[in-house]
Amino acid sequence: MTAIAIERQGVSLPGQRQQTLSLTYHRLMLMMLVFAGVTTLIVARILYLSVFSDRADTGAVGNPLLPARGDIIDRNGVPLARTIDAWSIAVHPKKLLGDPAELAVKLNELMPEKSAAEYLSLLKSDKTFVYLSRRAMPELVAAVNALGEPGIAFDREPERLYPNLELAAHVVGYTDLDGKGAAGIERAFDKQMSDPATRGEPIQLSIDARVQQALEAELLAAMHKFSAIGAAGVIMDVKTGEVLAMSSLPELNPNVPGKGSMDARFNRITLGVYELGSTFKPFTVAMAMDAGVVKSLGQMYNCSSGLRAGGFTITDTHPFNRACSVSEIMQESSNIGTAQIAAQLGAERQKEFLKKMGFLDRVEIELMERGRTLTPGNDWGEVATMTVGYGHGIAVTPLHLASGYAALFNGGIWHPATLLKTGKNRPVPAGRRVFSEDTSYKMRALLRLVVTHGTGKKADAPGYRIGGKTGTAEKIVGGRYTGASVVTTFAGVFPMDEPRYVVVAMLDDPKSTAETYGFHTAGWNVAPVISKVVSRVGPMLGVQPSTSRDANLAEVLPFIRGD
Amino acid sequence: MDAPPSRKAQTARLGRSDRSALGKWFWEIDRVLLMLVVVLISIGLIAVAAASPAASQRYSGGAVSFAPLHYFYRQLVWIIVAFPVMIGVSMLPKTVARRLCLIGAGIFTFFLFLVPIIGQEVNGARRWIGVGFTQFQPSEFLKPMFIVSMAWLLSLRDQDKSLPVVPLSALMLGIVALLLMRQPNFGETIIFGAAWVILLTLSGVPMRFLIGLGAAGIIAIVLAYLFYPVATTRIDAFLFADAGNHDTYQTDSALRTLTAGGLFGTGPGGGTRKFHLPEPHTDYIFSVIGEEFGLIACIAIAAIYMTIVARVLIKLLHEEDTFLLLATAGLVTQFGLQALINMAVNVQIAPSKGMTLPFISYGGSSMLALSIGFGLLLAFTRRNPYLHRSPYVVRGK
Repeated sequence: MTAIAIERQGVSLPGQRQQTLSLTYHRLMLMMLVFAGVTTLIVARILYLSVFSDRADTGAVGNPLLPARGDIIDRNGVPLARTIDAWSIAVHPKKLLGDPAELAVKLNELMPEKSAAEYLSLLKSDKTFVYLSRRAMPELVAAVNALGEPGIAFDREPERLYPNLELAAHVVGYTDLDGKGAAGIERAFDKQMSDPATRGEPIQLSIDARVQQALEAELLAAMHKFSAIGAAGVIMDVKTGEVLAMSSLPELNPNVPGKGSMDARFNRITLGVYELGSTFKPFTVAMAMDAGVVKSLGQMYNCSSGLRAGGFTITDTHPFNRACSVSEIMQESSNIGTAQIAAQLGAERQKEFLKKMGFLDRVEIELMERGRTLTPGNDWGEVATMTVGYGHGIAVTPLHLASGYAALFNGGIWHPATLLKTGKNRPVPAGRRVFSEDTSYKMRALLRLVVTHGTGKKADAPGYRIGGKTGTAEKIVGGRYTGASVVTTFAGVFPMDEPRYVVVAMLDDPKSTAETYGFHTAGWNVAPVISKVVSRVGPMLGVQPSTSRDANLAEVLPFIRGD
Repeated sequence: MDAPPSRKAQTARLGRSDRSALGKWFWEIDRVLLMLVVVLISIGLIAVAAASPAASQRYSGGAVSFAPLHYFYRQLVWIIVAFPVMIGVSMLPKTVARRLCLIGAGIFTFFLFLVPIIGQEVNGARRWIGVGFTQFQPSEFLKPMFIVSMAWLLSLRDQDKSLPVVPLSALMLGIVALLLMRQPNFGETIIFGAAWVILLTLSGVPMRFLIGLGAAGIIAIVLAYLFYPVATTRIDAFLFADAGNHDTYQTDSALRTLTAGGLFGTGPGGGTRKFHLPEPHTDYIFSVIGEEFGLIACIAIAAIYMTIVARVLIKLLHEEDTFLLLATAGLVTQFGLQALINMAVNVQIAPSKGMTLPFISYGGSSMLALSIGFGLLLAFTRRNPYLHRSPYVVRGK
C-alpha cells in the first residue's frame, strides 16, 4: 500500500506553488478517505442486509441458513414439521392496467372459488392490496402470471409443511394462515420456533415416528373394526415420562386443519376426560398395600353378593358369589371387592394418593390442550370413595392414566409426562415418590396375572410379558349411565419382569361384533390392540422377546382358587 | 564491414524499444486502470443480460414487444462502438484532448439549450435529443468536457493570479444547472455541482470559502425541497417512508430484489423479483445483480469502483501539472460519485435520484459518453513509466 504522507523529495518549486500543491495533495487524500468511507458504508449496509434482513417476506430466502420457522423432528431426527417457500398471489387494484371485467372472468376461470362478480368488486375496490390466493401451486402462479396484468403481484411466503401427513398430528399440531402456532407443539413452542435467536435449532420430540405409526395403524384398524366413533393411544417410557407415541382418532391432516372436523381436531389423550373404569383398580390395590390396609395379595374379601352403597348396589360382571382374594379381585376385575378395599383405605388417603399422581389437576405435559379432570369434589364421601376405587365418578385424561401406570411400575416415582426428548441437554425432570418400591414390585405379578389368567388374555403378545388391566366404563348420555355406549380402555405395561413401557389404548363407543359374541367390553376389543401394538413396537424399542423370563407369578397363583 | 542490423529488426512489437505511436501508448497507458474498466464493462454486459428480460417485459405492451434479450444486444452493439472510441480518446495527446474538450463543451452546451425546443419527453422529463436511430442526452456528453474545461479555467490561475476564474466557473455552472433544472434533471445537477466543488477544493481555494459553499448548498437543497416539486417528492419519499402517504413501492421492491438472492444469489436467470422492478436495466441494475449473483458480487463491484478511484487519486500525488491534476481528479471523482450514489440509492441509504451505474447500467448513447470520459481519464493518466518514481512508495527491505 502506498503511504499517504505528504513528503516530497527532490522537487524545487517556487515556495507559493509548492504550498498550493501540497494543499491539493492533502485534499486529494481527504477526498479519497471520503470515498473509502462511503464505500465502506455501502458494504456495511449490504452485509447488514444480508444478515439482518428479517422481514416476513425475505426472511426465508434472505438468510439461507435460518428457517422462517423452526423445524420439529422426532427423537431420531425424522422431520415432522418444516417450512418451505410457497407463493401468494395478490392484486394492487389501483395499479391495474387491463380491463377489470375481462380480468375478473379470467381469474374466475383459474380460481373458481370466487365468482367473476366477486373478483370484479375486488378489482374495483379502493384497497391498495388484496390477496387473491395464498399457498398457491406453482402451476396456478404461472397461469395467473400469463394473464400479463402488471397489477397482479406474486410473492414468496413461508408455508408450513407436515411431510408425514396425519402422523402424530395432535402432538405436532398446526399453524394458522398467518403462520402462528394454533395447536399442539406448534402452539406450545410458538415463541421458540419463531424467534430468530432460537428457531435455527429444531425442536426434538420424544416421539418415535416408527412407534407412532404402529400405534396409529392398530388403533385405526380397531376403530373401524368395532365401528367406534374415536380411539386414542399413548406409549410412554416408565422411567423418564417421555411420550414415544400419542395418537387421537379420527385422523387429522395438519396440512389442511380446516378440513378436519371439530372431533378430529380434538386431542383425546390430553384434552378428553373419561371415566376410565377398572383400569383404576390397580391404583386402589397399590394405595391399600402402601397404606398397610392390604397386607397380602391373599387377603380375603366378601364377594358373595352385591354391595349396597348409598342408594344403589355395586355388582360384578363375573360374580364370585363367595369370598375372594385380592389376586382374584384383580384377575376377574371385581367391583365389589375393590369397593371394599377403597372403603377401608378411606377418602382422605385416596385423595392424597390421587393428588400425588396429579389426577386432581390438569395433566402435566408441554401441550396447551389439557383437560380439567372431574372428581367428586366436596361430595367425596364413602360411596364416592368406593366408586372412585374402581374408576367411576372420576374422569381423567388417558395421559393421566399412562403417567399413573408409569409411576406404579417404575418403582413408585411419578414423573410429569414430556414430549421433549430427554438426554444430555434435557435431564429427566425430578419426580416424586407415590408408592413404595415394594408395592411397585408386587404389582408386577398381579397385573401379569390379569393377562395370563384374567380379563386381559387377548392383550398378550408372545414373548413380551405384557401385564395390564382392562376397563370398560359406561358413557354418560343425557345425564345417566346407559349400557349401550361404553369407553373401553386397556392400560398395559411391558416387559413385566422389568417394566419399561406403558401402553394405553382406548376405544370410544365400540360396537359388538359376531367375533366378540355380542360383547363390547375392553377384553374383547381394545386388549387385542395392545397385543398387536406391542408385537410391532417391541423390536423397535429394543425389548427382547423371551419365553424364559417373566414376572414371578408364584407370588399370586397360590391365591387363585380354580373353580 | 558489415552493415549494422536494421533498427526495425531489433524492435519487438510493443516491446520497450518500440517507438511507434501504439508502442508508446501501450507503455504509457495505465494498464491496470484499463483492465479494471474492461472488467466493469464485462460485468455490465452480464448484468444487462440478467436485467434485459425484466426490462423487456416492462416496456413491451400494446403494439411494441421487445425480445427478452433486446437490451443485451443493444448494449453489446454500443460497447462495440464505444470501446474503440475510449481507446482512441486515450491516445490523444493531452493538449489536443484539452482543446477538443473545450470545443465539445461549447457544442453540447448549445445542444442543452436546444433540448427544451427539440427534445423528446420521456417519463415527464425532457432530456433527450433524437438523432434518427437513437437519442442522446447532451448533459451526459457535456459532463466530462465540462469538467476538463473547468480544470483548464481554474489552472489558468497559475499563470495569472488576477484572473477571476472562480466567478467565471460559477457562472458556467449556473448556466448549465439552470438548463438542467428546466428539464428537470435533479440528479445530474447535483453531479455537475459536486464536480465543480471538488475542482474548487483541489485548486486550493481557502477553507472558509468551501464552508460558505457548503452552507449555500444546504440552503439550495432546502430551497429545492420547498420550491422544486421533483426534489420535494423524492426527499419526502425517502425521509417519510414510514408515514405511508408516499409511494415507496419502487424503492421497497428494489431492496427486496437486492436481498432476495442472499449472499450467493439465485444464479443467472434465477431471479424473479427483478420483474417487479422499475428500470431494472438502468437505475436498479445493482439490485438485479444482488438477486442473481448475490450480495458478495455487489460488494465486489463496490470494491472495483473504489479501486479505480483510489488508484487514480494516489497516482495524482506525483502529478505537478495543475490542469492535469484537476482534470483527472474531476473526471474520476465524478465517475466514482455517480457509482456511489447509484449504489447508495439501491441499498436505501440515499433518496432515489435516477442515476445510472457507470459502465454497468444499460446506457445506449450514454455508454459512448462514459467511454469518452474514461478515455480522457486514461489519456490524462498516461505517463512515461521511467520519468517519475513515486516518492510515496513505502521503502522497505
